[in-house]
Amino acid sequence: MSIKQYQNLNLDQVCEESYLKNKQAHNVLNHCVTLVDVKQQLKEAKAGKLYKIPYALKDNISTKGILTTACSNILDNYVAPYDATVYQKLKEAGAILVAKTSMDELAMGGSNKTANIGPCLNPYDLNCISGGSSGGSAVSVAANLVPFALGTDTGDSIRKPASFCGIVGVKPSYGRISRYGVIPYASSLDHVGYFCQNVYDASVLLEVLAGRDDKDLTSNTKPVLEYSKLLESDIKDKKILVFKNVLDALDPSSSAYQAFYQIVNQLKEKGATIKEVSFDQDLMRALFPTYYIIANCEATANHANLDGLRFGHQVSGSDIFEIIKNTRSQGFGTFVKKRFLVGSYGLYQENQEAVLRKAQKVRRKIVEAVLAELKDYDCLIAPASAKGALGLNEVCDDTLSDQYLIVENHMVIGNFAGLPSMTIPMGYDSHMPLGINITCNAFDEVGMFQIAQIIEDITGLKDLKKEVVHGL
Amino acid sequence: MKEINYKELANNLMFEISDDEISEVQTEFEVLFKQIELLNKIDTQNTLEMVYPFEFETSYLRSDDHIRTMDLADVLSNAPKTKQGHFVVPKVVK
Repeated sequence: MSIKQYQNLNLDQVCEESYLKNKQAHNVLNHCVTLVDVKQQLKEAKAGKLYKIPYALKDNISTKGILTTACSNILDNYVAPYDATVYQKLKEAGAILVAKTSMDELAMGGSNKTANIGPCLNPYDLNCISGGSSGGSAVSVAANLVPFALGTDTGDSIRKPASFCGIVGVKPSYGRISRYGVIPYASSLDHVGYFCQNVYDASVLLEVLAGRDDKDLTSNTKPVLEYSKLLESDIKDKKILVFKNVLDALDPSSSAYQAFYQIVNQLKEKGATIKEVSFDQDLMRALFPTYYIIANCEATANHANLDGLRFGHQVSGSDIFEIIKNTRSQGFGTFVKKRFLVGSYGLYQENQEAVLRKAQKVRRKIVEAVLAELKDYDCLIAPASAKGALGLNEVCDDTLSDQYLIVENHMVIGNFAGLPSMTIPMGYDSHMPLGINITCNAFDEVGMFQIAQIIEDITGLKDLKKEVVHGL
Repeated sequence: MKEINYKELANNLMFEISDDEISEVQTEFEVLFKQIELLNKIDTQNTLEMVYPFEFETSYLRSDDHIRTMDLADVLSNAPKTKQGHFVVPKVVK
């Protein structure tokens, strides 16, 4: 259901029902860390664009007085002492927080299996992953428990679960939405974004969330536009790049390939200019290693403060060093420990030139190559993934294949270059949703929403849901 | 490939890894080194590092005015142990 449709209902009842549905659905999906009582919020709700609309927040977004754990044992008792800017903005808009949602531990993952509360499940198939790291937020929207939810995206952590869960996932330009109060992963790649059920809602949500925040000095001063009033456009004016490296790594008989080209053919028929672009293949195969090294080096530095001394779950020891070591040994899961070790290795002085600085230089090469093509076009489009969500026990067996390196990781370009990028539904792989990713030039959110609206009109795929709790 | 002492690497990060975890870490690094080879195929001579998505300025030096503070009670609210407005930790200098 869209936000507009919610506004015609008894909103107090809607919010109370959303709370109960989330509580029940959690027994099936394991998507919540904390349920938040709505009664007091409803009494205090301000008259704004999202008046009494229920929503969920990924659990790395600080909410004063409410647990904010990032799904890590080291923060399992951490109650945020202040509000993130985005939470404050949503309060000002009148929205009602119903749940803090599950995520990969410290946002470091792409499956949501590494949450300290256990894996989050896909409502389309409970034997499949939701995707991550913003999996809990994704499923809360996909299962129609809330019309929108916030997440964060460092290397596709909104856009990939959006694809796996059949919903809209938006990562705007870097600095478009304030990161103040958001537990960091990799500061030069982190973006705050959100999930919803259609492109119109996506445009409204950006109006509420975007804007300069002096508490986040990387946030941008560009004016926030009325995106919802700028959705209409003429498809004949649109110039679209098709990301050929991604398509070349797909099986042409696959659902993703077929669904994608059905859309491309319709865009062509309706008069859009389409050009297939192939970037240097070695450069594209370097996308994932570039991301992995930069992200883990930055994360290792960012999380050096998690020591249990001033906050977090402290484990006892005979001296300060033992306290820190015991706290961190027991507080971090194996998956993030591995990532920190990679990060630390890259940060060692003797390795920096060959590892971190090399990755940072390749980042620049990638961004330059993409921007050189994108500057004359409106967007770059590609399937968000090769197929639907993996099974819970399924692993990628070849992490050096083009399918893994390029198809499953191309969306990091949006993080490297800070470009606005969103995923919307494009079809199905058997019963599992598939998404199409649209990436535009920096701060062209208007153009991004326009292209997304055109594609949504072509496919007719909007307001999709897969409920696991029926009636109350 | 230089031999890596994973336990020492972890120790320097102030956590321990178990013997079970070491084999997972070893596999992680084997993949990492193969992926570094992919980076080395890219010519980056005369290329500067890119450390942020945009290279225009968004930060500024503000005047030294009192803008906002946090209540001490909030600051200390998550501390395992406090005393007279301070975080308490075991004595470091013995």
